[in-house]
Amino acid sequence: MKAFNLKVVTPDGLLFDSEVESLLIRTDDGDVEFLAGHIDYMASIGTGRARIKQDGKDRFASVSGGFVTVKRGVVNLVAITFEFRENIDLDRARAARDAAKSAISSSNDDKAIRLAKAKLARAVNRIDVAEM
Amino acid sequence: MAGMKEIKARIKSVESTMQITKAMELVATSKLRRAKENVERTRPFYQTLGTAINDIISASADIESEWFLPRSVKKTLFIVFAGDRGLAGGYNSNVFRVAEELSRDAVGIWLPIGKKSLEYAKHKKHEILTDSFECAGEMGVGDMLALGDIVSDGYRCGEYDRVIMIFTEFVSMMTQRVVYEELFPLNQCASGKSSEMESDCDGVEMLDKIIPNYVGGILYSALCESLASESGARRTAMNSANKNAEEMIGTLMLKYNRARQAVITQEITEIVSGAEAL
Repeated sequence: MKAFNLKVVTPDGLLFDSEVESLLIRTDDGDVEFLAGHIDYMASIGTGRARIKQDGKDRFASVSGGFVTVKRGVVNLVAITFEFRENIDLDRARAARDAAKSAISSSNDDKAIRLAKAKLARAVNRIDVAEM
Repeated sequence: MAGMKEIKARIKSVESTMQITKAMELVATSKLRRAKENVERTRPFYQTLGTAINDIISASADIESEWFLPRSVKKTLFIVFAGDRGLAGGYNSNVFRVAEELSRDAVGIWLPIGKKSLEYAKHKKHEILTDSFECAGEMGVGDMLALGDIVSDGYRCGEYDRVIMIFTEFVSMMTQRVVYEELFPLNQCASGKSSEMESDCDGVEMLDKIIPNYVGGILYSALCESLASESGARRTAMNSANKNAEEMIGTLMLKYNRARQAVITQEITEIVSGAEAL
């Protein structure tokens, strides 16, 4: 299969920069899969799962926030968080999920609840990806 | 010539000051190492973010969005990154000097980041947007993303028409440079030619999501650069303070020994002339 260059950056640095065969990612308008030779494209991404196919093998990761662009055959994924499945700390994610749940039920401040809900979504996504 | 006792007391006080500056240098050195790693990690993020957003902006030429509407600049927001503490050489004052120069001819509103920055803005009686970003040293990605939302919202609502951030770029361990960057208005012709980019979703809606994220990311990079610069500046300042203290102790020691010698000589003279008188 033809390969293309995929770069994944988060505020923690350049996490991935390599030739891959495909990238499947959840944008705000649904799942989109990129293959080599994709037209120039842009989309914002939500919280979800990403699948990278490299040398015929699938790798999964949890992603949240940011956007993806395709330009001249290079795919740039700029995310707030991006963790490969093998790097997810399941205990931490579970603790974060429980903390967010109790924050939602105990708080009545709109802003705090919104933040906690976003945290909950990220934690649940991590757990989902890790337990796949 | 000053008495021996006074000289001794001065040596002691210089020594105790030196102890403090030495400790501060050590702390700054270890903080600097961590901050430098942080900067090196965020730089690729910053660069990719920049090119990606330029592509998006130049491809959105036909999108009618309030982000790109030209407006006359009535009010400018200055985001000023400084430190939480002093004793870092010219680190804080250099930032304020550049900020003052930029804001001289503009109606400005300040958004100080760092305790020193907030103190300065209050002292100069600048209008302050929010004072909730006081502790620069304790902030992370989440805070900067929240700040990105606040800054973008304010721009879209027309609270201000231009946003400039002033921070200190970490060039090397020894060199830090104050730089400023315009966040808004977004420059649609920055990347030259406008090009087409496909998108499945509504362009306006997408920009509304991407732009605050982008601003938050840029602010985070600026924060990392500033924190590393602060440690670098403090280390340099403390290092030269140590050197000065060492030099001072040297000259004081010389003075002390001279005074001691003079006292001994005088005593001998007194004894000898006393013996002669007998």
